[in-house]
Amino acid sequence: MRLLSALTLGVALAIPAIPALAQDTELVIGRAVSTNAMDPGFMREAATIVDNIFDTLVMRDKQMNLVPGLATEWRAVDDLTWEFKLREGVTFHNGEPFDAEAVKFTLDRVLDPAANSPAISYIRTVASVEVVDPLTVRITTSAPDPLLPTRMSRYPAYIVPPKYVAEMGDAKFASQPVGTGAYRFEEFVPDERVVLAANENYWRGKPALDEVTWRPIPDSTARITALVTGEVDLIEDVPVDLAPMLTASPDVELVQVKDGGLTIYLGLRMDKEPLDDVKVRQALNHAIDRQGITDNLLQGMATPVGGQVGKSDFGYLDLPVPAYDPELSRKLLAEAGLPDGFEITMQSSTRYMKNNEVAQAIAQQLGDVGVKVNQQVLEWSVYTQKQPFDGPIYMLGWGSTQTLDADAAIYAIMRSGEPYSGAALPELDRLLDGSRQVVDPAAREKVLHEVQELAAREVPLISLYREDALLGRASDVHFEGRPDARIVLFDITKD
Amino acid sequence: MKGLRFLLSRALQGLVVMLGVSALVFFALFLTGDPAALMMSPDASQAEIEAFRRAMGFDDPIWLQYLRFLGNLLQGDLGLSLRYQRPATDLLWERLPATALLALSALIWSSAIGMVLGVVSAVRKNSGLDFVIRVIALLGQAVPVFWLALLMILLFSLRLRWLPSSGMGGWQHLVMPSIALGAYYVSAMTRLVRASLIEVLGQNYIRTARAKGLGQWRIVVRHGLRNAMIPVITVQGMYFAALLGGALVTEIVFAWPGIGRLAVEAIQNRDFPVVQAVVLFTAAVFVIANFLVDIAYTWLNPRIRL
Repeated sequence: MRLLSALTLGVALAIPAIPALAQDTELVIGRAVSTNAMDPGFMREAATIVDNIFDTLVMRDKQMNLVPGLATEWRAVDDLTWEFKLREGVTFHNGEPFDAEAVKFTLDRVLDPAANSPAISYIRTVASVEVVDPLTVRITTSAPDPLLPTRMSRYPAYIVPPKYVAEMGDAKFASQPVGTGAYRFEEFVPDERVVLAANENYWRGKPALDEVTWRPIPDSTARITALVTGEVDLIEDVPVDLAPMLTASPDVELVQVKDGGLTIYLGLRMDKEPLDDVKVRQALNHAIDRQGITDNLLQGMATPVGGQVGKSDFGYLDLPVPAYDPELSRKLLAEAGLPDGFEITMQSSTRYMKNNEVAQAIAQQLGDVGVKVNQQVLEWSVYTQKQPFDGPIYMLGWGSTQTLDADAAIYAIMRSGEPYSGAALPELDRLLDGSRQVVDPAAREKVLHEVQELAAREVPLISLYREDALLGRASDVHFEGRPDARIVLFDITKD
Repeated sequence: MKGLRFLLSRALQGLVVMLGVSALVFFALFLTGDPAALMMSPDASQAEIEAFRRAMGFDDPIWLQYLRFLGNLLQGDLGLSLRYQRPATDLLWERLPATALLALSALIWSSAIGMVLGVVSAVRKNSGLDFVIRVIALLGQAVPVFWLALLMILLFSLRLRWLPSSGMGGWQHLVMPSIALGAYYVSAMTRLVRASLIEVLGQNYIRTARAKGLGQWRIVVRHGLRNAMIPVITVQGMYFAALLGGALVTEIVFAWPGIGRLAVEAIQNRDFPVVQAVVLFTAAVFVIANFLVDIAYTWLNPRIRL
């Protein structure tokens, strides 16, 4: 169906486009998913829209460095205490002043166990928040937490107005949010649109676009069509196999955000034979032709990797991509006492780029070195039901785009006992746990490097490649994707 | 009196059906696993997932959860959507107007055209025109909705730029979804009217009417069509119920903000209460439609006495 529509589209594109009628200060964005609620403390979806209504204490610039946001400076007072100095003169969209009370209120309402925030895990290390004076706030953590400033740079740490939230109640606040961000909320029609208007008094200056409308268009062909016809100016989530529809059209551009997506890997149940043997894991690691997969199947929309940590992540170690060497694989299998290979089940789903095709290619490549793979393809919601995964080999994608720290990229999938982890290496556990106790950045980076070196040797999982994030834009829209996957309206302009 | 008793017994049957459906949606969804882990962020700890599960009542025995579900259902409360944190019934009512608009428009044009084509086809049985209409009807039923929808988008939105490709707004937005949704029914209606009318036109009373010297048109409309309507009305009722339950594919492809899309997204997100609300609503619409069809029978054919 996609091939067919792509072909038909190719023909249709020969007809010159009628210029879009929208004003140059208005932008329409097509999203793959509907917006349900916009309370940043209780997100059950990507925070794409919320990102533009609220601000955090700490922000990330285009190079992904942590920079001052609603806080002008911050420092670790001791191992457990962080102090933030707040920006003066900032007000919420409703005129309510931003101050230390608002910060305390924001974090306390997420941490309240009775509130059941689904995002509580992102700030779970926060033990208490103390107002020192109206423009100074101290955050105490339950254990040393080097990531605290990072945690203050994303949801659920978007600062909300205490009086307004108390007046409206949580439910109403979620459909009529008020923040300090570049855009203020204007209108929300479920499944139809969310409209934002420029915050003229924004503390970073007046935004370039006056009005931004977000429209959910779930079907990818329909979404791309809406972009090509000029009904929308920017779209999220372009599937790899539909990307040619964008490159074929003169009025729109494909936005390929290198490393903006998930890192795809094969999880290994190390408690199951023969994956408990390091030689077997190494053999599998060298049996996979990553470059072949990313070049041919994924048409260059992904990059082979030798580890899970992303280039933009703190603690990144540049590891070589494991060589594709079937000879070596067979040798390692023989050394492991399995010269004739073995039979094993590999689970996958259809969530990621060409998930099925990639899984088939891997099964075939493993077959070439004598490992007979029984493929089990499960529907996504069934697949993610059960942790740990049955495996013994399971294909999964993991990302650190929201935190941009090695910890987010590896801890949950390499520490034994974590729900998504199949690994079981005591030495690795010790290093991982240790990394969470070090506040000094240099010392912490060193431990994180050790973790990645150990993982490269012991292969607790097989890192495959990192997907690019694919978006589409009209030619007159100036938008570059960010590695943290955010769509920052403040940085977008239109000719 | 007899009619009243019949209606009461049908109403009671409807209630039993609804009870069965409620058990079905409750247990079927439960069989697919535990939503607590899925609702939490991937790096939530086991303790956090446990706390969430307790708070949502997912850790109680299943029969207790069902009784609680039934009790709330009787009060019209299907619980909060896990994803939206709002009453599932509110979400449903919000989307009903969009779905009703789409369903009605599709039903009206497809019934009207289907009726005309069916009558023409039946009256001119085995003619060239009949053949053409039958082929069209066959195509309409054979073509998948998503394919037709995408082709229309490519032609009318992308190439000709006559109609918006998706969303809800003016009448222009309604045209393509309505055609995509009605295409199947216009075919079904044509075939049904044709078959039913051909059978009726072969009856003795039609021959009598002809012998009386009545005009062809009057015979077809007054004596033929009215009698041919009984199976048509039955099917019509079911179609409308099915349409109101939400047109899953059509609403997704055209980003139509209706019940079908709500259902698909709820299933994808394992949003139990919303899925239950949509299924129960659809079942209720079917039960009511059946009921109305029963009443319509007596009006169309006085020989059927309730």
